[in-house]
Amino acid sequence: MTLVSDTQAAVVHPKPQSARFTVSVPAVVLWTVILFLCLTPFLLVLAISFGQKIEGASWEWAFTFANYERVFVGANWPEEFTALYLQRLYYSLFYAVIAALLAILTAFPFTYLMTRLSRRAQSAWLVFILSSLSLSEVFIVMGWDVLLSNRSGLPMVFKETGLTDWLKANGYFETMREWGLANPRNVKFKTSVFATVLTMAYLVWPYAVILLYPPLSRLDRSMIEASQTMGAGPWTVMRTVILPTMRLPLLGATLLLFVFLLGVYVAVTVFAEPAKQTMAVSVYEAVRGNTLNAPFGSAQAVVLLCTAAIFLVAGQWISRKSAP
Amino acid sequence: MQALELSGIYKNFGSVRAVESSNLTFAAGELTALLGPSGCGKTTLLRMIAGLEEPSGGSILLGGRDITGLAAHQRKFGMVFQNFALFPHLSVRENVVYALVISGVSKTEAMETGNRLLDLVQLSGYGDRRIGELSGGQRQRVAIARALAQEPEVFLLDEPMSALDAKLREDMQVELRLLQQRLGITTVVVTHDQREAMTMADKIVVMSQGRVEQVGPPHQIYHRPENAFVADFIGKANFFDGVIEKGGIRVGSVLLQAQAAANFLNGSPVRVACRPETPCFFQRDAAGTSLKSKVTFVRDVGAVRDIHLETEIGRMIVEYARGETDHDFRIGQELSIVLPADGLHVFPRAEQAVA
Amino acid sequence: MILRVISHVFMALSAVMLALPIVVVSGAALNSGRSMFFPPREPTLDRFYEFFVSEPVWVNAMTNSIIVAFCSAALAVLLAWPLAYGLWARGSRASKFLAGLGSMPFALPPIVFGVGLGFLWSFTGVLGSLWAGVVSHAALFVALPVVTISIGLQSIDRAHLDAAATLGATRTVAFRTVILPQTLPYTVSGFFFALVLSFNEFIVMFFVSASSYATVTLQIFNSLRNGYTPTMAVAAITFITVSIVVFAAIARWGDLPRLMGAEPAKN
Repeated sequence: MTLVSDTQAAVVHPKPQSARFTVSVPAVVLWTVILFLCLTPFLLVLAISFGQKIEGASWEWAFTFANYERVFVGANWPEEFTALYLQRLYYSLFYAVIAALLAILTAFPFTYLMTRLSRRAQSAWLVFILSSLSLSEVFIVMGWDVLLSNRSGLPMVFKETGLTDWLKANGYFETMREWGLANPRNVKFKTSVFATVLTMAYLVWPYAVILLYPPLSRLDRSMIEASQTMGAGPWTVMRTVILPTMRLPLLGATLLLFVFLLGVYVAVTVFAEPAKQTMAVSVYEAVRGNTLNAPFGSAQAVVLLCTAAIFLVAGQWISRKSAP
Repeated sequence: MQALELSGIYKNFGSVRAVESSNLTFAAGELTALLGPSGCGKTTLLRMIAGLEEPSGGSILLGGRDITGLAAHQRKFGMVFQNFALFPHLSVRENVVYALVISGVSKTEAMETGNRLLDLVQLSGYGDRRIGELSGGQRQRVAIARALAQEPEVFLLDEPMSALDAKLREDMQVELRLLQQRLGITTVVVTHDQREAMTMADKIVVMSQGRVEQVGPPHQIYHRPENAFVADFIGKANFFDGVIEKGGIRVGSVLLQAQAAANFLNGSPVRVACRPETPCFFQRDAAGTSLKSKVTFVRDVGAVRDIHLETEIGRMIVEYARGETDHDFRIGQELSIVLPADGLHVFPRAEQAVA
Repeated sequence: MILRVISHVFMALSAVMLALPIVVVSGAALNSGRSMFFPPREPTLDRFYEFFVSEPVWVNAMTNSIIVAFCSAALAVLLAWPLAYGLWARGSRASKFLAGLGSMPFALPPIVFGVGLGFLWSFTGVLGSLWAGVVSHAALFVALPVVTISIGLQSIDRAHLDAAATLGATRTVAFRTVILPQTLPYTVSGFFFALVLSFNEFIVMFFVSASSYATVTLQIFNSLRNGYTPTMAVAAITFITVSIVVFAAIARWGDLPRLMGAEPAKN
């Protein structure tokens, strides 16, 4: 009798079992492992951000807001207001926003064109793009470092081809100096905002393609053809059909790239001027660098995390509002 | 072979009753067709027989033994699915002997059975192909062979012809019926195609909105429909609404003679159904009601012609088979037809509320 | 017509831009001196010998990279299977929450996760062990196999499971004979996605290794202040080659467009 009822419960067809809550040993193990590995690290960072540093040693548990105070108004507040870390946060946002937009704007037409190719050609492109995507930040920075460094790469190309002289002759050189893209003798790209943003945009460009690929490849072709039969040219189709339907995926992809870029470290340390470093860099410096102040680093990590979370939640909210 | 019996079986999906409480018997060795429009609950009924869907109440008996509590894998009724559900990662032969392999039959024995079954469905030599290399008809044969490999007590088919093109469908219906008769296996086929049901079935179960409307052999279902739904769904019919009057049926200004009218009380509202092949042209002496009519359209489909008529009691379509004496029909032509008194089906009709 | 030309030019330019730093790095690996020049001066293949054979620092780092990448990818797949299966079979709030939790480390800035893992391992006393590094990368990249396996599970026709049941397969047998073989390509893809990304990751590894060992990318990261050397460029070539081989293999034996979210191919 029990055998029958047991097997009856074991219906092969998997069904949604929302009401019934079953606890099994494997499930408990899985929950424990995932909670331990994927949640506790973040909780620890949060907890330690309220701790305090012991001079010359490590740190101890506490419940103080001093670390956050230091991030937002400086260590000597209220006597003195310093915006050093707010500035870092500002640069984090600044680089991330520009690089994310740059990547999306160039990746969007590219991905659109790619989805119109044959499936074989798409596969080949995807192999290329995924290889570039998975390539470590250290290698990408290495490549751009060689390309942009003053002794080789682009500045040399500018000089050899006479482009530098041409720029000088036409007065553009002065403008470039004003923007920090030239020294008295030749153009220079290291260190500059330009180099930082370029490398960061390059870093996330393959991600942008991968994120835009699903919605663009699922775009209903007959919709485009329908608007063509009604007399819409390529630009009108783009403006009236493709862009409106892609609004949400574009927003979502931009936000994800932005969050990814908040955490970029190597590109910033190599290409950004010392005064224009980001919060990710100072997290690293506080936790493992010269200062060795784990609680302060944690507090900055929490601020970074909250910034990311705010943007992700805002994106969710916008997409939910504009969804029909 | 054993008979399959459903007793008081019903199924709810949430608050929706998908299958009303039904009692059905599927005789041993017979082929029964569950026939009805989509969403009528026929597939749910079949899935309950297979054990893929748990009935909300009632019981399923196989040869008198209650099998309601058995899961699908314990019943092991072979089933052919709508899109065949062949495993793409296995070869044709591996698909066919799947049931044998997982139940631990030795490799050589499984191999032999597999080849024998492929012979049976005329696919010998295809054993090592991949499923993707087969045509629709071949896939169906593999699905049939796979379901039969375990020598099931009941053979179930869910819309087995729907994935085939029209011409192949007709051939496969005959082939499947011959195979089933040869094996003498109790079989249930779900279909929405009345032609398919009538080609293959010993018995047809007509269903609509979760209810069993009529059960019977094909000719009975066609010639003696028990209600207006069956008359409409099986074959074609012209319908007229009327009221019983003096042993006949009053439709508008005409009093139709109908033998079936005798079963109703005077004044009861009825619906009359008339098959397109029933009315007679040019036979004024036939027993029945003569109607004046005008041809509005002629559809010539070869063997027969459908004549669309505007008659005294409304529009109707009448079939005219090309006989020895061919007749010409022209649009606008006036002619009279006779509705034979024994050829009209009469069903009770719910009185519509009059405002 | 003009639009077509512009399209082709744009795609070609994108390809050039994408390949440019990679080409430059590959060229720089041929330098004979200690500095990175492009084009290379006095081209030589000595740096390859150094990287793969003669320099213990790089050989050890490569060994660590391989161990961490393979083990963490395997572990990530093992963790991902129950997560993806729970999502597919139950789709309950709890399983969605758990899968969301599993993909959190990948979605948020890795530097924060790295700092957190550093704390976690130092509390549990295993900071700096290679196995802590393996587990860390498994947690970081578990999201990838979850995604690919989920795509694989969704592509299974539920009628196949019904068919297996009517042929006598219990739930376990159907899992072994229908679900596992049909999702195998997706599982393997997930494994290799995790493998390649783990191979290239260094920030999290930096925090959990506590300088007691280094993978190749971490070794390069650690010597960043001293500038790049041509030997590092050899590493770059090796890594890009591994990526291309892996993804080309996935494209060859799996359906890469589908994995990346295109609609299933019509056959």
